[in-house]
Amino acid sequence: MNKRLRIPDLGGARAMILHRPHATVEALTRQLRAIGLATSDHWPELPAAALGADYVFFDTDMGHDGQFPWKPGEAPMPMIALIGSEAPGRIEWALRQGADAQLLKPVGDNGVFSALLIARQAFESRRASGDEIAGLRQRLAERQTIVRAVTLLAARGKTEEEAFAQLRQLAMAWRETIEQAAARVVARHATEGGRDDRRELP
Amino acid sequence: MRIELGILFSREGSYRRISEACRSGALAAIEAVNADPALPIELVAVERDPQGNVDRYGPLCAEILRDSSARHIVGCVTSWSRKEVIPTLEKWDGSLWYPCPYEGFEASDRVVYANACPNQHLLPLLSWAFPRFGRRGYLTGSNYIWGWETNRVARDLIAEAGGEVAGERYLPLGDDDVSRLIDEIRATRPDFILNNLIGPSSYRFLAAYTALGIEDASFSPDRCPVLSCNLTECEFPALGSAAEGMIAAGPYFQTGAAPYGSSFEAATHDAVRTLALRLACVEDPGTASLSDLLRVPVRGGLTIDPGTHHATLPVLIAQVQGGAFRVLERWEDVVADPYLSHRDRRVAAPPTSLSVVK
Repeated sequence: MNKRLRIPDLGGARAMILHRPHATVEALTRQLRAIGLATSDHWPELPAAALGADYVFFDTDMGHDGQFPWKPGEAPMPMIALIGSEAPGRIEWALRQGADAQLLKPVGDNGVFSALLIARQAFESRRASGDEIAGLRQRLAERQTIVRAVTLLAARGKTEEEAFAQLRQLAMAWRETIEQAAARVVARHATEGGRDDRRELP
Repeated sequence: MRIELGILFSREGSYRRISEACRSGALAAIEAVNADPALPIELVAVERDPQGNVDRYGPLCAEILRDSSARHIVGCVTSWSRKEVIPTLEKWDGSLWYPCPYEGFEASDRVVYANACPNQHLLPLLSWAFPRFGRRGYLTGSNYIWGWETNRVARDLIAEAGGEVAGERYLPLGDDDVSRLIDEIRATRPDFILNNLIGPSSYRFLAAYTALGIEDASFSPDRCPVLSCNLTECEFPALGSAAEGMIAAGPYFQTGAAPYGSSFEAATHDAVRTLALRLACVEDPGTASLSDLLRVPVRGGLTIDPGTHHATLPVLIAQVQGGAFRVLERWEDVVADPYLSHRDRRVAAPPTSLSVVK
């Protein structure tokens, strides 16, 4: 993960602030507008329109799960925690919400720009890892299919190694992943009835 | 009405020439304001000299705000010193009028940025240079925030334009061993050089590069010029003929019978005059806060964006020809975009047909 920082398009991006009316909200709004974002602040709840926001800043001191139009940890945008009390229970709650970055209160003259960049980067890499893990899980689940396909091909008088090589060639010829090719071999075998090599199946 | 005004410029150190230019602009502006019968205020300078030592800025800024009635300070040249004084300004309820170009990505509530940020210097300079010289740039700078960040933005702009970074090298502040820099430029043969070195490093580099241009015409100013966002008239005495051909961007250059000796002098003069015009318009200038001053409608002086506290400025591209700047391109009223988040605040690339160099 040594990629260069990609600076997100912040001009015209929408930030929503979930915090009771307070000097912190004013300082945050001033910084966000100077950077070029459109802002709105909300309390005690985020409206459903928050689903379209590009960034959400949320209070951890008085916050609770019911304030968000999504389940804890499932926010579809980067979330930045506004931390007053550094009590571990509150930090734990902020992390459960999916905080990608934080700002300590009182918010003063700076800190928002770096919080936006860090939160965006953390959010994107979290999402990319999530997609990658889902893909790997799926491939892992399909390992059983590969074992069955290799066994079926091997049953026609090949060694396991030759059978695996054949499966790989099939995948290449069909221009699909080895998992997809294996699924096809297994399916074909099932429809063709398997003839006498069926007894070779585990 | 008598109003004290803090002056915080270093009178020694590696950026002394810039600092002195700013200081004389401030003092001249104070004199002009005091002589102006239309302005019912008298400015009194409260001056401190950090002597080029970055650790002296914070304490001296506090001293001005604590020991005098001054609420506003004109000062600082480097970004480093500016960042040092901001916490002090917050603590003592003061404000800084900053007269130098800088690398952007800041919008303090306590600072007025009276000189250019990247969409008012670097972006116009490169978009002007690309079609004329090419998009293969060699980037250099002194090892601190100005050079790093300006060159980072330049890298992005070059990549965006489909160009290439031929090389990139930094020198420690004050270092004047430029031989490796020159060797790399000779070897990589870029289309232009972006110079973000400051002080003696810059003087030595420009002298060595001028010598290289005499030896090999591929490095002459009309084929591979040195571009700069902060080199101005105040450094000519240190540069001599090595300044010749250099191309710079800024809000002001001294041409013909212009009233100010240098770009920095002009910027600081404008900053102080803008402050004075606004002080003259508020009920209690002795205690008015910066946001009060920026809110008051006033004719004349710089236009300051109340959201970002940055000045709207003209952008000039100028080349040193025969020992003085000649303006090659000019845009009026460019609104600052300190975070480079507004594409609509980028100047449009000018036509190239009239001055094709290559």
